[in-house]
Amino acid sequence: MSTPAATTPSSQTPIPQGAGSAVVPTPAPARATGAQTQGSNSLGTFGVKSGLAQMLKGGVIMDVVNAEQARIAEEAGACAVMALERVPADIRAEGGVARMSDPQMIKEIIEAVTIPVMAKVRIGHFVEAQIIQQIGVDYIDESEVLTPADDEHHINKHAFKIPFVCGARDLGEALRRISEGAAMIRTKGEAGTGNVVEAVRHQRAVMSQIKKASVMSDEELYVFAKEIQAPFHLVKETARLKRLPVVNFAAGGVATPADAALMMQLGCDGVFVGSGIFHSGDPAKRARAIVQAVTHFNNPKILAEVSENLGPAMVGLTIEPDLKGGKFAQRGS
Amino acid sequence: MTPVVSRIGILALQGAFVEHKAALERLPYHRKLEVIFVKTPEELAQCDALIIPGGESTTIALLARLSGLFEPLKEFVKDKPVWGTCAGAILLSQVAENTKKGGQELLVVAGTETKLTLMQVESFEAELTVSGLKDPERPFNGFFIRAPVVVKLHPGPEDPPIQVIASLSPNLLPPALQSPDHSDEPKTFVGLRQGLHFLTTFHPELTNDDRFHEYFVRECVFANKRT
Repeated sequence: MSTPAATTPSSQTPIPQGAGSAVVPTPAPARATGAQTQGSNSLGTFGVKSGLAQMLKGGVIMDVVNAEQARIAEEAGACAVMALERVPADIRAEGGVARMSDPQMIKEIIEAVTIPVMAKVRIGHFVEAQIIQQIGVDYIDESEVLTPADDEHHINKHAFKIPFVCGARDLGEALRRISEGAAMIRTKGEAGTGNVVEAVRHQRAVMSQIKKASVMSDEELYVFAKEIQAPFHLVKETARLKRLPVVNFAAGGVATPADAALMMQLGCDGVFVGSGIFHSGDPAKRARAIVQAVTHFNNPKILAEVSENLGPAMVGLTIEPDLKGGKFAQRGS
Repeated sequence: MTPVVSRIGILALQGAFVEHKAALERLPYHRKLEVIFVKTPEELAQCDALIIPGGESTTIALLARLSGLFEPLKEFVKDKPVWGTCAGAILLSQVAENTKKGGQELLVVAGTETKLTLMQVESFEAELTVSGLKDPERPFNGFFIRAPVVVKLHPGPEDPPIQVIASLSPNLLPPALQSPDHSDEPKTFVGLRQGLHFLTTFHPELTNDDRFHEYFVRECVFANKRT
């Protein structure tokens, strides 16, 4: 908790931080490049974009492939749904190029629920993002689960009015995405495996690098920023806040209430569940149990209650070199 | 003599509850205020006042139901100071329109009718006119995140009067909500108070400007503690 850096845009008062309970800093009043300003009513500022992510905290975002599943997710207490054509486990099993979903299908899901709707676009595919923004989706996931469209560049997310979430395996990757305009970060994990080990690895990597940075002098932070290939001002801000400067969710392999609570205790702000719900025996019951587990992540008594009698979980895969569909997390950096 | 301590609970089921705690703890009331998170009926029972934060109203209502908090909350809002922001304001309203299929459970009262929901692309930030706060001449930067819109006020004859604490200049409303005559309609009301209840459709907790928190503590919490 040093004095605020001259390079940081916000004038945030230092606040005590704790795992899973830290305050996301107040966004700077500076307007994003793509923002429309009408008098002093500003649309699509970074503050508004990251504000929506803050409202999702402590919640569960569920993958759904049609309006019916979206309604089940809403009734089970999802704080948002991710509309996609195939859940990651099916993309993995069926192979082929995975792309943005049919806008008609996404629109049906938007019509069916009142909670926010997210949709995935391929890494670097800014035209898919323009289309998704146009149809009124609330959030875009620039996702390694789909087949990348650009193996070098990510989308310039500042140019959009709607917010983006991006995956990251470590602090450097997270801060590179934030510098490109991501208003929310999630672990990459290994989607479609039902195996939480990679999400744990990524979350632990981010947290341990933040801890290291938080005790560094400025001289050391310059070197550290170079090492992790991240902009210095974001490294400095992260060190000061002792957390990522935007909301950070768990994703990739979460299949049980215990998995979800594990990620929360490791310091995540909320959880994405992909294949884990609609590839299980009783989706509605499991979804509701995971929602409760994220709220009561520190209460073993409630965790034990909600974990009972959920029926079979999705069949998991171990993470091996010949993993069917390959390691999605290695896409994009 | 030890000062009387008021305990403010923040409903911590889902949403931006940590931000409210941080804002309350920045106020110069350390010795008179204690802030706790409320996830269970036992925790609610210890509170003198409550903040219902922003988040997803459907999620918060369901979690309240599953945690055995819904009925205790209904009792609590009858005679204790309660502030709802955004989703919290929806739960405190008497009638909600455009809710999810099957309807939205509400905690009643407050005599306002709020309407769901702006699409997120129409979330915005705008300067608000505030009265009753400290430094009322200084505008407040309001963050509206898929904000509910107040459609109609319907105070009962026995109820305390409804005061407008914050409003949005009609020309700053998103185009979809603007009416040609720019009349003074409830849509421009973004902060309302009725007795011990306080509603804001925007998010003061996302800023470093703590005047709304100061107002709630001073006008609703401390005032109620004294009587």
